[in-house]
Amino acid sequence: MNATATRFGIWMALVPLLIAILGLGLQGLAIIDTSLFFTWGYFLEVLIAGLLQGVLYSLVALGFVLIFKASGIFNFAQGSMVLFAALTMVGFIEMGLHWTLAFILAAGVMVVLAIVIEKVVLRPMVNQPHIILFMATIGIFYFLDGFGQTLWGSDVKVLDIGIPKDPMFVLPNVFEGGILINSFDLVAALVGAVLVAVLAVFFQYTRVGRALRAVADDHQAALSVGIPLKTIWAIVWSVAGIVALVAGIMWGSKAGVQFSLALIALKALPVLILGGFTSIPGAIVGGLIIGAGEQVAEVFLGPLVGGALQDWFAYMLALGFLLFRPQGLFGEKIIERI
Amino acid sequence: MFYREAGQFKTSYSADQAIFPIRQDRLGLLLLGLVAVFAVPALANNYFLETIFVPFLVFAMAALGLNLLTGYCGQLSLGTGGFMACGAFFSFKLATAFPELHIVVVFLLAGLGTAGVGVLFGLPSLRIKGFYLAVATLAAQFFLVWMFNKFNWWTNYSPSGVISAPPREIIPGFFVTGNEASPAAKYVFLLIFVAVLALIAKNLVRSRTGRSWMAIRDMDIAAEIIGIRPLWAKLSAFAVSSFYIGISGALWAFVYTGSVEALAFQIDRSFQVLFMVIIGGLGSILGSFLGAAFIVLLPILLNNAPAALGIPLKVELISHLEFMIFGALIIFFLIVEPHGLARLWQIGKEKLRLWPFPY
Amino acid sequence: MYGDKHIGDTLLKVDNITLAFGGVKALTDISFEIREHEILAIIGPNGAGKTSMLNVINGFYHPQQGRIMFRGAERKAMRPHLAAKQGIARTFQNVALFKGMSTLDNIMTGRVLKMKSNLFQQAIYWGANQREEIEHREVVEKIIDFLEIEAIRKTPVGRLPYGLQKRVELARALAMEPDLLLLDEPMAGMNVEEKEDMCRFILDVNDEFGTTIALIEHDMGVVMDISDRVVVLDYGRKLADGSPDEVRANQDVIDAYLGVSH
Repeated sequence: MNATATRFGIWMALVPLLIAILGLGLQGLAIIDTSLFFTWGYFLEVLIAGLLQGVLYSLVALGFVLIFKASGIFNFAQGSMVLFAALTMVGFIEMGLHWTLAFILAAGVMVVLAIVIEKVVLRPMVNQPHIILFMATIGIFYFLDGFGQTLWGSDVKVLDIGIPKDPMFVLPNVFEGGILINSFDLVAALVGAVLVAVLAVFFQYTRVGRALRAVADDHQAALSVGIPLKTIWAIVWSVAGIVALVAGIMWGSKAGVQFSLALIALKALPVLILGGFTSIPGAIVGGLIIGAGEQVAEVFLGPLVGGALQDWFAYMLALGFLLFRPQGLFGEKIIERI
Repeated sequence: MFYREAGQFKTSYSADQAIFPIRQDRLGLLLLGLVAVFAVPALANNYFLETIFVPFLVFAMAALGLNLLTGYCGQLSLGTGGFMACGAFFSFKLATAFPELHIVVVFLLAGLGTAGVGVLFGLPSLRIKGFYLAVATLAAQFFLVWMFNKFNWWTNYSPSGVISAPPREIIPGFFVTGNEASPAAKYVFLLIFVAVLALIAKNLVRSRTGRSWMAIRDMDIAAEIIGIRPLWAKLSAFAVSSFYIGISGALWAFVYTGSVEALAFQIDRSFQVLFMVIIGGLGSILGSFLGAAFIVLLPILLNNAPAALGIPLKVELISHLEFMIFGALIIFFLIVEPHGLARLWQIGKEKLRLWPFPY
Repeated sequence: MYGDKHIGDTLLKVDNITLAFGGVKALTDISFEIREHEILAIIGPNGAGKTSMLNVINGFYHPQQGRIMFRGAERKAMRPHLAAKQGIARTFQNVALFKGMSTLDNIMTGRVLKMKSNLFQQAIYWGANQREEIEHREVVEKIIDFLEIEAIRKTPVGRLPYGLQKRVELARALAMEPDLLLLDEPMAGMNVEEKEDMCRFILDVNDEFGTTIALIEHDMGVVMDISDRVVVLDYGRKLADGSPDEVRANQDVIDAYLGVSH
């Protein structure tokens, strides 16, 4: 815990420096290649928009980390859980319910879903290799995508729970025209921060949290001291489902609830690679780096290669990262035993 | 009753190592081959050839490639679509730049090119395993499709981004690509081409290379300790697998659809092929074919069955149901029979050996 | 019967090896040697560093200090597959077979380093590759005969009982025709009869093929019976080194095993 905190501190101290170097580099490029455009104000604006976008990635990644920590399963279906949760929520709102009620009901649905997954998929596969379980979650991914759209239809839906979406201009005195920040993104970041704090408290200080950490450490040992593994798994998948619901609401309000949500969630995978699969701070920092990185790359480097860098930038960044630090920024290095 | 191996004794190691050691199997295969080459093109109409047999063979090829990597070597890849795109666009560039080149040579060269790309993206597999690698192959998937979509050099500056296969003959007067090619000609060409490549795959997996792959899959540390170089084993698996997948992409573009754009090879294509491998049977050549047949037939069945039963369903709903059924089947197979249809086939054969006197 | 064998010069020499994981020292300043044609037992309580020692010898762990001489030459930057190439084979404490493959295929993988046909020849199969396959199959069949596992040739190893799995693992190691065979608890979890069989195989291997064997074992009766020399480790340090009788009489060893009042 302490080592993680120290590392976290070092990285945080390095961040302004890294940003300055990145900006200078891009400025240099813009001088060499006149088709590129660069001002510091615009750079910061893009960077902040990217960071706020990154919070949303982190929200999805958080769901992955929870499940991975507790059961060692890499849940590919997290993205479709986000879509399914958002679709369910919209479905309830369309029935004329207030959004708070719809939220509670949708959360209930996610809990039921978690219990079903535990019973139908996880329990029969308890001793299978992880890679088989991973493929099973791809099956869940497909099933949920189909199921959600069969239930609620596949049109693009508007989800509005009254989050303000007005643009704000800050620091107009420093930069010409100020820096544009979307207030919706700020709210999303705030929600993300609150969620992380709640989860941290949940894991650190509650009985369930303690049991969960025990399970993450060693299934067998946890079982032998009387921790009900199945219940714990159901709880973790429920919590991941509710995290997916929150992520779904945020993404859905921003971009509409539609099939592509499940694919946006794939971006959470490179976030995990960067942050390490078992680290909640890793998921946050990874999300921020990916969000900011791809936004900056798209705006300032995209014109060089015809745009749409966002399609692959995050994955390539993760791939490069894997070659140098396979365990991620905050992951633990594994010593293999034979 | 008829499926007995009693009285067939193996007297040499080469007989024991044959692909089909049982005489009835060899006869069955011969019969199947004769039906496939002569009866099918004669009896099936063009609709069946084009919507079932041709895509089945192309997909079988892709599934075979992925199975070598995932089923035999244990390296999960979600980049199949991207590698198929490589094969399609490489062969398009080769075929248009060198019109005199024989089409089979074009396909093989495109496969080799894809093998190179596969090795490049397989490099991270030396340091990372399992789902980490899956994420790395996602990078290949998204990057490659983006590249073919973005740079129109690949499409010879076609404004729509669509490439059309130029007409080519396999032997003079016998077109297998382009408008003049008959479905029957395409089918027979594919059948022979895929059968030969499947045989090569079978030969590889029953030799040293295949055993090295399986050793890496089952326990990589032990494999290294008996002298298998993980570098060589994994990269050769990536290379051979990408070779097959690249050729399947080329066949897709040239023989199956005739014209294609990069977006035809998006991530759902990768999943589709992965499902074939899982349902057909991980680590089985036969399974690749069974899985491909299953996944090609199921949507056709789903589209026609409700109407035939008199239950009208909306097209949209059917496609959603298809998703659900695929998902459920994947989970079902992974739980009940991780070795897929191929294993069920084997169990069936074991039963048949004893039938009708099981004791 | 086995007393008249010729024990030769030093085959492998471990010199001042220190291995640490983070701050935890698994091995501290260990030196000993393995001589040609002998059976050397490495013993010690749980956590003494025995398996770590084998891991260092076959290149899986990299010690922070010290050196390893093999056939008089110093080994550098060792990887397990390079150790295999030099003729070091190994079995594992927890059976490490290739679960998805048959017994025969498992043992055939042991021949990987001896097979020479290239990818193209393998793709064609008929011809050079088939000749090679058959040639190696004959060697493997001899090992199968030797270890009396003919009946399970085609069985997937995952279905075999534990004792037989251990035997298949030994067969796979033998298929490498090693000069040095490392056995990590070859008799753990076996009943008396299986242990006797395994002892016989180990002695036969040593006797017939002249293979040098270093083994880890907890059963003291077995150790004292079959080994020529014994190295004792405790808490990552070497306590003693010598013939079974010398080791049995060593005060440090007695203290470590029986406990001592301070």
